[in-house]
Amino acid sequence: MTVTRRTLVGIALVAPLSFVGTAFAADPIKIGYQLPLTGNTAQYGQDFKTAAEIALDRFNASGKLPVKVEIVYEDSRSDAKEGVAIARKFVDDEKIVGVLGDFTSGVSMAAAQVYKEAGMPQLSQTASHPDYAKISEWQFRNITTQAGEGPYNADWMVSKGLKKVAVIAEQTDWGQSVTKYFSDELTAKGGTVVMTEYFNRGTPDFRSLLAKIERAKPDAIYTGFFYEDGANFLKQMKQLGYAVPVFSTSAAHNQKLIELAGPDAEGLSLTTNFLPNSPKPEVKSFVEAWVKARGAEPGQFPAQAFDAVNIMLDAIVKTYPKTTRASVRDALAATKDFPGVTGVTTFGPDREPVKQLSKVRVVGGVFSPVAE
Amino acid sequence: MSEITRKGWVVPVLLLVLVFAVAPFTLAQFGKGYFFQVANLVLIFSLLAVSLHLVTGVAGLLHLGHAAFYGIGAYVAALMGTDLKLGFLWGLPAAGLVAALFALVVALPTMRLVSIYFAVATLAIGQMINTVLLNWVAVTKGPNGVMLFSGIKLFGFAVKGPLAVYFVVAVVVVASIWVLHRLSHSYYGNALRSLREDDQCADAMGIDTVRLKIEVFTLSAFFAGLAGALWAYTTGYVSPGDFNFSNSILILAMVVVGGLGSLPGAIVGAVLLILLPEVLRGLGDLRNVMVGLVMFVSILFLPKGLFGEVSALAFVRRNLGVKWGAAPSEREVGWR
Amino acid sequence: MFDPYYLQQLAIGLSQGVIYALMAIGFTLIFGVLNVVNFAHGEVYTVGAFAGLLLITAFAPPFLVVLFVVLAVGAALGFGLERIAFKPFRRFSDEASLKSRAMRESTLMSSLAVSIVAREGLEIAFGSQMQTLPFEYLINKPIAIGPVTIVTGDVIIFVVAALMLGGLQYLLTKTRVGLSIRAVSANPLGAKYVGIDTDRTIVTTFAIGSMMGAGAGILVGLYYGAIFPAMGFVPGIKAFVAMVMGGLSSIPGAVICALLLGLSEGLATTFISSNWADMVAYGFLIVTLIFFPQGLFGAGRERV
Repeated sequence: MTVTRRTLVGIALVAPLSFVGTAFAADPIKIGYQLPLTGNTAQYGQDFKTAAEIALDRFNASGKLPVKVEIVYEDSRSDAKEGVAIARKFVDDEKIVGVLGDFTSGVSMAAAQVYKEAGMPQLSQTASHPDYAKISEWQFRNITTQAGEGPYNADWMVSKGLKKVAVIAEQTDWGQSVTKYFSDELTAKGGTVVMTEYFNRGTPDFRSLLAKIERAKPDAIYTGFFYEDGANFLKQMKQLGYAVPVFSTSAAHNQKLIELAGPDAEGLSLTTNFLPNSPKPEVKSFVEAWVKARGAEPGQFPAQAFDAVNIMLDAIVKTYPKTTRASVRDALAATKDFPGVTGVTTFGPDREPVKQLSKVRVVGGVFSPVAE
Repeated sequence: MSEITRKGWVVPVLLLVLVFAVAPFTLAQFGKGYFFQVANLVLIFSLLAVSLHLVTGVAGLLHLGHAAFYGIGAYVAALMGTDLKLGFLWGLPAAGLVAALFALVVALPTMRLVSIYFAVATLAIGQMINTVLLNWVAVTKGPNGVMLFSGIKLFGFAVKGPLAVYFVVAVVVVASIWVLHRLSHSYYGNALRSLREDDQCADAMGIDTVRLKIEVFTLSAFFAGLAGALWAYTTGYVSPGDFNFSNSILILAMVVVGGLGSLPGAIVGAVLLILLPEVLRGLGDLRNVMVGLVMFVSILFLPKGLFGEVSALAFVRRNLGVKWGAAPSEREVGWR
Repeated sequence: MFDPYYLQQLAIGLSQGVIYALMAIGFTLIFGVLNVVNFAHGEVYTVGAFAGLLLITAFAPPFLVVLFVVLAVGAALGFGLERIAFKPFRRFSDEASLKSRAMRESTLMSSLAVSIVAREGLEIAFGSQMQTLPFEYLINKPIAIGPVTIVTGDVIIFVVAALMLGGLQYLLTKTRVGLSIRAVSANPLGAKYVGIDTDRTIVTTFAIGSMMGAGAGILVGLYYGAIFPAMGFVPGIKAFVAMVMGGLSSIPGAVICALLLGLSEGLATTFISSNWADMVAYGFLIVTLIFFPQGLFGAGRERV
């Protein structure tokens, strides 16, 4: 039964491609992509999938390789149980030379144990757990961790004279790192953290927390939230008539935030390494393709996924025709000055990306770059 | 008698052969880690379902927080493995014992509750334990989860490779299920059933119902803790999200779909609800809808479960219960 | 001398509590007649919100029209839910089946299965993200009362909850339908023997209870401006807790406990970190159950 299912899945995946594909093509090279396509975080996974499809279609059309590259998408529901099972499945498939994903650090790290053991390069577009890339030499990520973003934000705020800051973040591994790196730098620069608090992801009501923040009388609020919680937070802040500058991370950089919060999002400042209205040609063409597929501007996360896929493809090109898991890993580790839509990417020796951050602020319903 | 005795050996031997020879051999034929991973999951969830079966199926106490004790076990094993450098042989029993201890502490004041009040108390306990796992960063490392790098080591030998890990998991799970089987198909199990059918009547007949409830709740948490340790060692990474309310409900669904009060049913339910989402992967986004539909249809047509209690008891009695007969000269005990 | 901050927190906690109460009313009503937990109540709430969303985006009718249509949708959902997930399990009317725990628990699971299908279906149709709502429909315009700020939604939800509670009490105590609902929840078999159409009573109760659930869904959706497939989960659990704390059988009890839950969560944020606030609510529940094992308003009262 299992055999037939696997075969069926294989046929279902290969069939449409092989018809459009070249007849002489040898066995395609495969990349695995584990991501949440269903469940509570499905919106992110669906975004990644669209971004990956854009990247892959272009790549295969460009003819950089004589063989086709395929991406096998597997749905992890952001559930560690499923994530690990998928990891084993990818490892079992000898044609898969590299894996992208998962979305959350938790699932990425559970799966990473399998990849570490089996020697499979894993490149996550979003896993920001401080220890993720330390698991083994096989783990890479294409997201600047809070170790870079936190101090950057802290310096920005201090330079604007905002020294008393209330820090709130979601209670996840990512949120923990948001507060840690930001607070360390802020205190080092002479600022004070008047309050640190975590909230559970998906909390509908921030008003109790907001009232508490208001009582602590900070100059500004630094927030580690994703766009949905962010929209709720900003709306309720407006409701309570409370106005202080709010700063945030690249995770909140999503057009949906403005869609959901409307005018209440005005004035939100954040850092990002993706500017959709940047004049760079690679960004322009990605944004165009995205708008065609989705009808709205892409945010930070799809851009990261797009780059992650391209970095992986680039590594495969470099190694071809001796493409193996080990050679892809080495090629990934050697990634230098990759011109992505989220900026020029170089992997350091710790397999962490080094990227340029930019400052943006919501002005008139758009994320506008600011120079401060 | 002789015929029964012979038959009494057949099924357990067949089951053991299935778990220890047929299954690993078949899986090894495919030579794939994926199948072993799924097999491990099935085993771990079978243990969880059977341990919940003792509380919810046999003793009739609706328990909505089972995953929390599973989580305690996983965390104890993982933290002992990383912070204290105590390996699997220490972690496994400790996981069970600590989970049982927690269960005992929370059970003492709450076990006087009956029916739905009990259910909601277990829900609250489960949610509280999960909140602690998530937010007590100093000890549990909070949302960062715990990474457990040291694999399973037994008496100085590292257990490597999916086949060996599978065997370790299978031995622990089979031994635990055997204990749970002996408990639920015994006088003790009958006392629990009397609790389920009519606790006032059981009380009047001299059964200490509160004590019995505390015992069974603690026991079940012990085995959930063992399952947790197995999960921690098979995945190498635990985080609070794996032990939330949805997982409690998933385990409960296994017990009910399989047949409330039926031990084989609990295993059937676990196998079904773990395999189904994997088998349906080909359906893409539709697969979870299908899981819901299959659950619904199975309950609709077999409201007493895929392997209902009555037929399960008959099956156990016929095929596994014979050992309960004492030597011919002695008075026979138990039911056969 | 009294810090207006606490008043503000009190107001916030109260508005949380009213939301839980809105949900708990329907939950308790349905539990009353069947004695089973309806796991799909949270999904009724979600589907109600999505129905409202569709209506708003398609026709942009006035607010009250949205509310009434959603209530009607809710009633239809309740009817359908009862027929699909509950009625089939009443086909065995022999005593053994009626008393069998397996039968009762399987009803619980059938509602769970229906809720999984509904939630996953919504996810496929709409995606799991929060849906965008037209801003003019949101009921979150601030109203300042002295140092305390509340929003229009607080008032609307409070009024709706009060109307529902009042209407329900009237229905239950003054009408024949209410009498039959109370009879069925007190003793289904007895009600059958005295000639009450239990089947119809049960389905009526489901329609009424789900109407309230769906109404709560759209109100809360517009209140927070957040409508997404998993939105019913947390209020569902809280309503369940409130119902049990209130003693299962008493709707006013459930409402009071829902308010208490909301208040305790709101105030807890002041003293401890807000991510621990759940702890207070659940701890409160456990303590209540230890000292009042039948809930706060349960013992010796008539069901419903």
